[in-house]
Amino acid sequence: MTKNLHTTPRAKTPPVEVEPAADEPDPRYGVGERRKRFDALGRVRGTIRYTGDEGIAPGTVFVGVHRSTMPHARIVAVHTEAALEIDGVLEVVTGSDLYKVLGDRIYTGPAFADQPCLAVDKTRFVGEAVAAVLATDLATARSAVDEISVEYEELPPVYDVEDALRGDSFVHEELRPSSVFADLAHLHGVRGTNVAYEYRQVLGDSAAEHARAATTVSATTWAPPTHHVPIELPSTTAWVDSGRLELLSTTQTPSYVRQTVSDLLDLPLSRVRIMTRPLGGSFGCKMYDRLEPLAAALAWTTGRRVRIDATREEAFLLTTRHGAEVIGSMSADADGNIVAVSSDVRYDTGAFADVGPRIAAKSGLVAPGPYRIASVDVRSRCIYTNKVSAGPFRGFGVPQVTWSHETLVDELARELGEDPYLYRRRHLLREGDIATVGTKMHSADFLTCIDEVTKAIGWDKPTPQGDGRWVHGKGVAVGMKAVLTPTIANATLNLNQDGSATLLISTVDMGQGSDTIMSQIAGEVLCLDSRRIHVVRADTDATPYDTITAGSRSTYHTGNAVRLVAEAMRTKLLGFAAEQWGVPARELVLDARGVTHKKSDKLVTLPELVRAKFGARGATVTTSENFTSWWVPYDHDTGLSEKVTEHWFAGAAAVRIAVDTYTGRIRTQHLAIAGDVGRAINPTLVEQQLTGAAVMGIGHTLFDELVFDQGQITNATLLDYQLPSIKDVPEKMTPIIVESAHREGPFGAKGVGETTILPIAPAYAGAVRDACGVRITTLPLTPERVLHHLAASENARKAKR
Amino acid sequence: MNEITLRVNGTPHKVAVDDTTVLLDALRQRIGITSTREGCGVGACGACTVLADGTSVSSCLASAVRYDGVPLTTADGLAEDDPVVSSFVDSDAMQCGYCIPGFVLMTKELLAENPTPSDEEIADHLEGNICRCATYPEIIKAVRLAADRTAP
Repeated sequence: MTKNLHTTPRAKTPPVEVEPAADEPDPRYGVGERRKRFDALGRVRGTIRYTGDEGIAPGTVFVGVHRSTMPHARIVAVHTEAALEIDGVLEVVTGSDLYKVLGDRIYTGPAFADQPCLAVDKTRFVGEAVAAVLATDLATARSAVDEISVEYEELPPVYDVEDALRGDSFVHEELRPSSVFADLAHLHGVRGTNVAYEYRQVLGDSAAEHARAATTVSATTWAPPTHHVPIELPSTTAWVDSGRLELLSTTQTPSYVRQTVSDLLDLPLSRVRIMTRPLGGSFGCKMYDRLEPLAAALAWTTGRRVRIDATREEAFLLTTRHGAEVIGSMSADADGNIVAVSSDVRYDTGAFADVGPRIAAKSGLVAPGPYRIASVDVRSRCIYTNKVSAGPFRGFGVPQVTWSHETLVDELARELGEDPYLYRRRHLLREGDIATVGTKMHSADFLTCIDEVTKAIGWDKPTPQGDGRWVHGKGVAVGMKAVLTPTIANATLNLNQDGSATLLISTVDMGQGSDTIMSQIAGEVLCLDSRRIHVVRADTDATPYDTITAGSRSTYHTGNAVRLVAEAMRTKLLGFAAEQWGVPARELVLDARGVTHKKSDKLVTLPELVRAKFGARGATVTTSENFTSWWVPYDHDTGLSEKVTEHWFAGAAAVRIAVDTYTGRIRTQHLAIAGDVGRAINPTLVEQQLTGAAVMGIGHTLFDELVFDQGQITNATLLDYQLPSIKDVPEKMTPIIVESAHREGPFGAKGVGETTILPIAPAYAGAVRDACGVRITTLPLTPERVLHHLAASENARKAKR
Repeated sequence: MNEITLRVNGTPHKVAVDDTTVLLDALRQRIGITSTREGCGVGACGACTVLADGTSVSSCLASAVRYDGVPLTTADGLAEDDPVVSSFVDSDAMQCGYCIPGFVLMTKELLAENPTPSDEEIADHLEGNICRCATYPEIIKAVRLAADRTAP
């Protein structure tokens, strides 16, 4: 069951000038319609081509990567002779070989330039790329890497955040902020720390408020590192064509990769081309610097066409989700008002900062939670350790802090003897409220989200008694995230003479369906059947700059660029007709039939109009537009900003579970999730994002976890790393679309990809608390962990007697 | 090297393989099949599923020489109006789509063995295939619909 709640008028978007004509084909597959993905049949039969499906050109060489066996060590020597003797091996390239050509440009990264594509002087984690074997076939390349031997001089390893903060050993000798973010420049050259970045948020005097509060709850929560595991493996092919570096890759950030490769090879942007295909999933792992810098460097320095395919085991070594500890407290006054929240957030970013500094800030800023809170003190740090690097993952660090604030508010409600739903409801931010970060709330309808999910699971209905073995419980939680801001989107539209259109954008479709909804937005404006609008795959030689496909930003940002480019096209077409008929453009309207002039009863179809203009069949009309969001950078000392984000995502989850007290297993009876999406451009695709993110969240809640032993991942295969299967789907699942239109969104819309991954874990933990009386603050809620807590609570009860 | 005949979707292909060539590589690299995909390399995700004489096989673990002459079905070989294919399309049972051909073939196998599966039987049969986008609710809907469409 899906509800479309308070659909509001299409904010700020000029409406189509006329009512749809009586003979207009219906439906036009425009905004709000459950249009199918244009390539649905190809996805089902497996005939659409992903990156790895592209043919292998003659002369292509395959790359095998020798990886570090040490978590932290100086590289003394790399012995490549034995590998070079193998039949089929063409070259072996080491980090020092590349350094001789590239110098410090070998260090790349989105926030800090600290990632060498091959380790240069030292290695910083088990699995770091140390040398590349180029061979005539993949099997030879992969087996030859074992013949490389490396002499190391061991350095004291930094295994976890505790080690890192002790400060006896440093993962990087000095901090290397990249040139991308001006506000990180002050960190340049800082030595003697493993803290890459620290964000503070200070509002009021939280120490004093905690001290005089009537009730305080505290919890140290832990969310472990996890992996994205899209089923498509990473693959990059790079070659040199007429002095240009061309690259086809599994990336959701082609515009970013183009800049990185340009910087790496010291080439003008015009001599770098990045191409993409649809992605077989990503969830944040196919962005920024993955295989691309190595492929580009190898192709450029050897002149060969190189292809790097990661195995599943290697894919685990390219990036992960941050493990995060949060030490938090929340206090209420005698009336139950939340008067203080303090939060010490520690993101373990591993060997490379990647985008961790942005995660520490952008997620730290919502660490107190979406509540009316009198004072806050947040300290959110991005901390280096000698482990696989962590980067963006659906939710961008927010699920980890949501796990903290929702644990705290739930426990606070119980401490006060209040219902966890109604207590939240009373204190949640409303339209026009100012969040603790200092930014006003708009289009973030937490109340409707939480009302609808609790209603869906029958919150007020009595919870079953259970049978002695199975016990039952219910839980609820909300989540709040800021959209990535500021970002830039561009769109170019070619209207073809036959009345079809070709849309050029650099958004990468990785399953979310962006190609489909962007054509719906353009079609809505131009009264065109959206199935006649083709979206070109991102290719930096053809499609215009777009910051990234991430952070749930595309529907809003690129969607707005697409709306604008279609509006510009409408203006242009009306101008053509005005010119041809000698009438003012303002008297003309565009509808599904073409352009009409009511006064004279003239009508021209788009094919006739464009043919008359250019005198040619097959001609195209082109428009281009930009949409850029803006922000007020947060204050360095207080972390506050009057506009820290372009908009907010609001989500909620409510769940009814049964816990097997014999085995500790949790069964999901009903999970309801809601997200405020502003306006659902395509409700079917929105529901898939709501349920898809929720099921991924169930994995993170119940079993999903990367296990490390002395810095090494011990479960980096799909035999050992558990992912949600069809059997982990709740017995009942209810996605609920909430539409509180955003005044600037295209037709009121915002994104949705991350909204419902935020509240899942705390909703479950609240339900476990409700069912069994135990509060678990460490994820995942495995059967062993549940049993352990049940036993501990039983022992405590016995000891009391 | 052995020359074997891989009969894929009714078409025989003569290919040279050695003893270690896995069926997945033979199908993709020698014949150009795109619907059979590597996801894990250890038979744990189901993206590489093919039907051999109607029985599902993880082609990433299967030795190609063992399938000399065996009738193989891959998802791209199914007709557009195949009831399972059309049911997946009509149920919007795809997001990124990378794993979906594997689910389609598992559904073909299930319905051949059991034309009227219960939801539990559907889940039992598809449990070994991973859809990381978690399109599971739509997949379940698609299998139910396909069962209706194939019912005699």
